[in-house]
Amino acid sequence: MPKLTIDGIEVEVPAGTRIIEAAKKAGLDVPYYCYHPGLSVAGNCRMCLVEIEKMPKLQIACHMTAADGMVVKTQTEQVLKTRKHVLEFLLVNHPVDCPVCDQAGECWLQDYYMKHGLYTSRLQEDKVKKPKAVPLGPTVMLDAERCILCSRCIRFCDEVSKTSELGFINRGNHTEIAVAPGKELNNPYSGNTVDICPVGALTDRDFRFKIRVWYLKEADSVCNGCSRGCSIQAHYNLDRPHHAKGERIMRLKPRFNEKVNKWWMCDEGRYGYKYHDHNRIAQPVKRTEKKVSEVSWDSMLQEVARKILSSGQKTGIILSPQLSNEELYLARRLFCEELKLDKVFLLAPNPDGFQDDILIRADKNPNSKGAEFLGFGYNTEALEKFLDQCAQGGVEGLVVFGQNLSERLDGPKVQKALSKLAWTAFIGSNHNLMSESACYILPAATHFEKEGTFTNFEGIVQKFNKVLEPLDGARAEWEILASLAKALGIAMKAGSPEEIFLEMAGRLDPFRNQTYESSESEGSDIRSMAAPTIPSLQQYDNIL
Amino acid sequence: MIDKIFTPEIKAKADALVARYETKRASILMILRLVQDYHGYVSPEAEAAVAEYLELPQIDVHEVVTFYTLFHTKPRAKTEFHVCRTLACSLLGAGKIVKHLEKKLGVKEGEVTADGEFCFDQVECLGACEIAPMLQITEGEYVGDLTPAKIDSLMEDIKSGKMDPYKKKQKVSV
Amino acid sequence: MKKLISRYFVPGKTFWVEEYQKDGGYEAARKVFETMTREAVIDEVKKSNLRGLGGAGFPCGMKWSFVPQTTGKPVYLAVNADEGEPGTFKDKYILHHAPHLLLEGILIAAFANNVHKAYVYIRGEYSAAAEILEKAVEEAREKGFLGKKVFGKDFDLEVVVHRGAGAYICGEETGLLESLEGKRAYPRLKPPFPAVVGLFGCPTVINNVETLSYLSFIINRGAEWYAGLGSPKNGGMRLLCVSGHVKNPGVYELPLGIPLRKVIYEHAGGMRGEYPLKAVVPGGLSASVLKADEIDVGMDFDQLRAIGSMAGSGGVMVLDESTCMVEALMVTMRFYAHESCGQCSPCREGTGWVDRILTRVVSGRGKQGDVDNLLDICSFMGGTTICALADGAAMPLRSYPTKFRQEFEDYIAKKRSNPELLSELFHGAETKRGGQKELTV
Repeated sequence: MPKLTIDGIEVEVPAGTRIIEAAKKAGLDVPYYCYHPGLSVAGNCRMCLVEIEKMPKLQIACHMTAADGMVVKTQTEQVLKTRKHVLEFLLVNHPVDCPVCDQAGECWLQDYYMKHGLYTSRLQEDKVKKPKAVPLGPTVMLDAERCILCSRCIRFCDEVSKTSELGFINRGNHTEIAVAPGKELNNPYSGNTVDICPVGALTDRDFRFKIRVWYLKEADSVCNGCSRGCSIQAHYNLDRPHHAKGERIMRLKPRFNEKVNKWWMCDEGRYGYKYHDHNRIAQPVKRTEKKVSEVSWDSMLQEVARKILSSGQKTGIILSPQLSNEELYLARRLFCEELKLDKVFLLAPNPDGFQDDILIRADKNPNSKGAEFLGFGYNTEALEKFLDQCAQGGVEGLVVFGQNLSERLDGPKVQKALSKLAWTAFIGSNHNLMSESACYILPAATHFEKEGTFTNFEGIVQKFNKVLEPLDGARAEWEILASLAKALGIAMKAGSPEEIFLEMAGRLDPFRNQTYESSESEGSDIRSMAAPTIPSLQQYDNIL
Repeated sequence: MIDKIFTPEIKAKADALVARYETKRASILMILRLVQDYHGYVSPEAEAAVAEYLELPQIDVHEVVTFYTLFHTKPRAKTEFHVCRTLACSLLGAGKIVKHLEKKLGVKEGEVTADGEFCFDQVECLGACEIAPMLQITEGEYVGDLTPAKIDSLMEDIKSGKMDPYKKKQKVSV
Repeated sequence: MKKLISRYFVPGKTFWVEEYQKDGGYEAARKVFETMTREAVIDEVKKSNLRGLGGAGFPCGMKWSFVPQTTGKPVYLAVNADEGEPGTFKDKYILHHAPHLLLEGILIAAFANNVHKAYVYIRGEYSAAAEILEKAVEEAREKGFLGKKVFGKDFDLEVVVHRGAGAYICGEETGLLESLEGKRAYPRLKPPFPAVVGLFGCPTVINNVETLSYLSFIINRGAEWYAGLGSPKNGGMRLLCVSGHVKNPGVYELPLGIPLRKVIYEHAGGMRGEYPLKAVVPGGLSASVLKADEIDVGMDFDQLRAIGSMAGSGGVMVLDESTCMVEALMVTMRFYAHESCGQCSPCREGTGWVDRILTRVVSGRGKQGDVDNLLDICSFMGGTTICALADGAAMPLRSYPTKFRQEFEDYIAKKRSNPELLSELFHGAETKRGGQKELTV
């Protein structure tokens, strides 16, 4: 393995490593725009020029591969002067849109100017005019003047999404990013182009003008949109509820995860957070023929427990692969092992969706594999038989976790079955047809509002964090199950998701040898560019 | 759509051109030139047709059309005067020629005369500095050692039919 | 003066194959194919000190020796007939008058490098040249000089005439390759070099038209003879293109190393009007300008480099005292701004910025400090980019204000401007503050 010296630090790297990566390994920061470890090398921004001994001209670190005995210097006077001038060149035609640009606060031009620029502008000429606020497609907005022509977005569409919508048009400093006339940027991964755009040229239409990024807080999580379980980061806002009509989650970003999703996430996952702050079930509700009323959690739990006890074996449970490993385990403990019910099923809402060989899985549930490990598989036939049983009066009560049965099963058949039941309980976060007709509605937290683990389709167990407190009266399903168990007079060790996980790991093979922390999805902020080196730009709270 | 642009005659020529190259993409400059020669310019429809014919993403064709100076995305005039404006020609009076053309044709650079006959623009070095100041007629003949009088007589010859502006033969005064 | 290539430059005449052969044409190629080895040919070319005459001046034989023959991939030859460097027009003459001379050179180069497919990249504006070459290729094929079994040997050679579409950057070797592959002519990162990874990922030799056209002379008369015609390490003759304020602008075939003074006064007839010589751009637009007292330099690659300029493409532009150097620089930088491909930031933004500064200066609104700014910008355009276009722009940008500093300062201080030049720029429209009229594509 070649050993090279960078700024006096010796570092050994695998053959073929670019100097820019070797520098990262040595803990050094070489600035760059066009380089991206997940894309081919373009070498056009010239920001990463460094000095290499024995070479007369400065060389770009993103292209040169490390050679044994190479001596690299990233902080010489010439290198620093060149960086300043390259930055100046990039800013010559850049519109000073900061006050109206969404990228402000996470813009690499701003960040690098503070670190490597700090010069007084000597530009006295007009800047080149290009189209502004051009919707390239449903998700991405282009401002061609802001673009520094790094070509990351083009390379992404060519190499990752493989849809080739973007290209350069014109020549010289009139060059712009564009789509072909009459076409648009519309692929399942288009949102990633906004992530990788270092400036405010490509911005997210969904996030446009929502909030200033320095008001956002971040928390790591895992996407629950499909069985891939991409590592993500939720950006939320609690301090300024006058933004975006009080929505708490402002946007989702992918986190780098070598094993699961690399640097990317799909649009469906990225923009699929709206349910979190809309159409939520607020408080426990009891519905009788005569009235609908809010009740307290205690009285709700007591009543549901009584119903389960009285219906006994005539109680049906329909679980969801949207539940975490911990919740499914608790459900198994309570319903299967303790109560020994024989009508416990798993309903998969629509596992036959679109799938590709990039990230998107047909199974739109985050924890089907976890359910499988815990002994719950999809068995539509058994479910159909169960519905028949309901229709024939063989079932008294039904507890449904989160889903609308009519989505996957025959609508009229479901209606007929439900009409024959004495009571139904719905435990879920958002209103749907099922919740509208259930007798007992228990508001559950979304997965952003609780902690737990999902098992993705490859069997990788990933922990997601509690980003926010549950909305209004909602509670995490594991809490609900633990309370229900208590109300049923059954003791279960369920003080926290970690406790549940450890018990599960102690008993069941697929989870054995996993600690709760080790199942934490490794992932780092994909925006690991200038931000870590500029402490002054870290988020701070609302100072107004 | 593709048949409107690639008529049988054009397609036959295009197929022969594509056959000379290792990849279909490599023939794109020749194919676009062929399409422009026949249709007068490269419209968005033409771009889409070329993209389909060469099995390329449409943006790749658009990228190429907008990069190279000789491809036009709008119809031009029957006769184009491309006046060189680089160093030798500029020093030897290209400016006077441009001003004269403006006066004579009554249009500004890039505009087409009302009768659709003439337009002029300025281009960079055409590789004819020895006859500076000079211009190229459409993509054909180089005319050099220009004076306003010579411009006038050149236009007379074109209008009277004495000189065929469509003749793509290029004479070089050596 | 000896006439090697230039003896074919008979006004209005093209030497088609019959006449070309009558004079000994294709005998050098025959000699190479029938009696020599690849290595011997490369060796001969090395000994001849033939330099790349497109502009870079790289020793031709040495360039050929970099081509690996063991990759299992075919080796290509790309002939650079883009002739975009302003001031240069010699290749046009070769293509018009002696296309077979070029084809014979291609044959020799193909043999030496084991090439079986050659592309001639002719700039799009040279319509007639492309037509003539196509016809010459047909003639050569009929005679068995191209196509299958050249000279009856087990050696095929196809020559494809490829036409460009108007971009100076296609004259840059990797820009040419990208354009030939059907893309925007964005130069490539080097390494790898084209000799190893070139056209379609295969080893590729890229040579200028003129360089190849001298090969048959080297083979026929010997490397030593050829080397002796020139100066040390700069063998042979070259076609100098003289233009500007001289009496007899044109192509002059002269030995490498001939003093510039002789070129201007003995061959091109001296100054054309009453104004004395002021400056000379000796090697195409990208060469540093020389003052009138610097014209005793020998016109070869090493001597011109030693005085801070370059032999480049051999385009000699002669400027007399009627020339305003500020305006000349403005026209020069306008060219680079128009031709920058836009790929990398120092060139794309630098050329555009400098163009706008000089436009402002020439509009009478220059400011003190402009010259220093220009020189500072220039320092970071050169040596920081993917290809040498920015270096080419940096050389005039540095040399004009350095050598004619007072003229620049005066122009700015007195707020001079040139109405004719301005009208050329703005066509009578209101001049916009600073910026220049948008370029239309």
